[in-house]
Amino acid sequence: MVKFIQEQLKTAGNISIDEASLVAQARAGNMASVEKLILKYQDRVYNTILKICGNEADAAELAQDAFVRAIQGLKDFRGQSSFYTWLFRIAVNLTFNFCKKNSKVSFQSLQEETDEETNRQLKYYLIDKNIQEPSELASKKEVQGLILKALEKLDPQQRAVVVLRDIEQMSYNEIAETLDMEIGTVKSRITRGRRNLREILEAAIQ
Amino acid sequence: MKDMELIEELLNSYIDGELDERKANEVKRLIDNDMQVRDAFDSLSRYKKLMASVSPAAAPEAFCESVAGRLERQILLEDTSGYHHHAGSRHLVIRRLMTAAAIIVLMAVLSVIVLDVVVPKSSRDKFVNNTLNKKQKLQVLYEKPFADVKPAEEAVVAVVPQKSSPVPIVAKLTLVTDSPVETDWLVGKALMNTGLFDKTVEIDRKTGSVKYVLNCGRDSLVSLLGELSFIWPKCTDAKLQIGTEQPGQYVTVNNVTSQQALEICKADSYGQRIRIANDIAVINNAAAADVLATYFAKQNTGSDLLMPEKPVLTSPEKTQQSTSDNSGGKANLTIMVIGR
Repeated sequence: MVKFIQEQLKTAGNISIDEASLVAQARAGNMASVEKLILKYQDRVYNTILKICGNEADAAELAQDAFVRAIQGLKDFRGQSSFYTWLFRIAVNLTFNFCKKNSKVSFQSLQEETDEETNRQLKYYLIDKNIQEPSELASKKEVQGLILKALEKLDPQQRAVVVLRDIEQMSYNEIAETLDMEIGTVKSRITRGRRNLREILEAAIQ
Repeated sequence: MKDMELIEELLNSYIDGELDERKANEVKRLIDNDMQVRDAFDSLSRYKKLMASVSPAAAPEAFCESVAGRLERQILLEDTSGYHHHAGSRHLVIRRLMTAAAIIVLMAVLSVIVLDVVVPKSSRDKFVNNTLNKKQKLQVLYEKPFADVKPAEEAVVAVVPQKSSPVPIVAKLTLVTDSPVETDWLVGKALMNTGLFDKTVEIDRKTGSVKYVLNCGRDSLVSLLGELSFIWPKCTDAKLQIGTEQPGQYVTVNNVTSQQALEICKADSYGQRIRIANDIAVINNAAAADVLATYFAKQNTGSDLLMPEKPVLTSPEKTQQSTSDNSGGKANLTIMVIGR
């Protein structure tokens, strides 16, 4: 069943699925609709959690937990927000709780993760501004790792806001709904988060 | 410094497209005119591009199957717990109720079988008839033969007391026999022949004795005694007790014959009945002393034929009393058949 749906989604490209009807069918116990919802959001949820918690295995486990809780709690879903923000709220809260429990885990120094060439290229891009497009730079595994480690150094609340905005591309309103906070708070946290992240990265490559 | 923080926040909102058109134009103008703001904006843009170019991680293989599997396990667990808590207890209660019902049905069947084996059919039929038709249940009068008679003090007040409450015939016939089974059978047959079996309120069978109690009319009683005349040859002794007006007191006629019993019960009134019973009792007692037996032997007269003369009523007062003393046709007879 899952493979069939995956094939259907692949062949149809960006297939427009009526989320409301899917949610209604899933709430009625239709497993096919449940699987469609999972397939629709699994990558985004997993990616967001991974960027916040920084560990693939933990991210997979947390993402599964988030889906199970969201689908089991569908009967309590009143539709005041979209299923998307509701699902992400569950996922982010689970991840926050996980991060609190594992806050004693010490991160490695960012400088140990990258080689000199990568540092130099990143410095050219961020500080000297010699490189216009970062696509080649960002494709490097070392840079990806550096960014993730820099994110891990952020305060969890700032990290969540930055991930939801810059990686998940949520609007400020969606972030406010997901994290259950005011838009002003979202703005200020994004500002501080980005500034801190830039400072962490610049400190790492100098 | 605070202005720079505000500008930075505006730049972030601008680069994210979260500002309205007016504010966006203001920020754009600021970027164009202020070098420091332009640098900040450029730095922010580069940072944003770098973050956006980070390739997204895809969910692990079989992620969906894992979630679906966990969901199915959860659903199964919920169903199982529901079964344990609700369906299980309900099933247990139903089984207990069914067991109790089966025990009750079994007990009822066993009771019917035991009843069929132990209790005679006649008594059983009587019991069934009484159970099905309680309104027709006959009263046992022999325990208190004059229960319906008002006390003496109240009778004084009554204008015509005897007519309003006629004295019924209350008689106890005790038959002693060597063949109780045959005698019992003849009594039952006599009751059937006279149609009095249904009016039998009690049949008490004990070892060596049978007691019949029946309520009927005087005419029926006379008919029954006529039928019972065939029993006398089977009996070694017969005793008739006639109830008086005083509860528990009887006139006892020993060695009574069937004709004597018939004559007593045929009496038109209570007074006449008592007088005849007394006379026959005296005669039979004398006969028992062999005084009259010798006389009867000499006269070649059977004692069965010895009947007291009917009382002659001479005064109108007495006649009046006699008519008012009419039994009204109500009778209660107890027959005891005792085996020797």
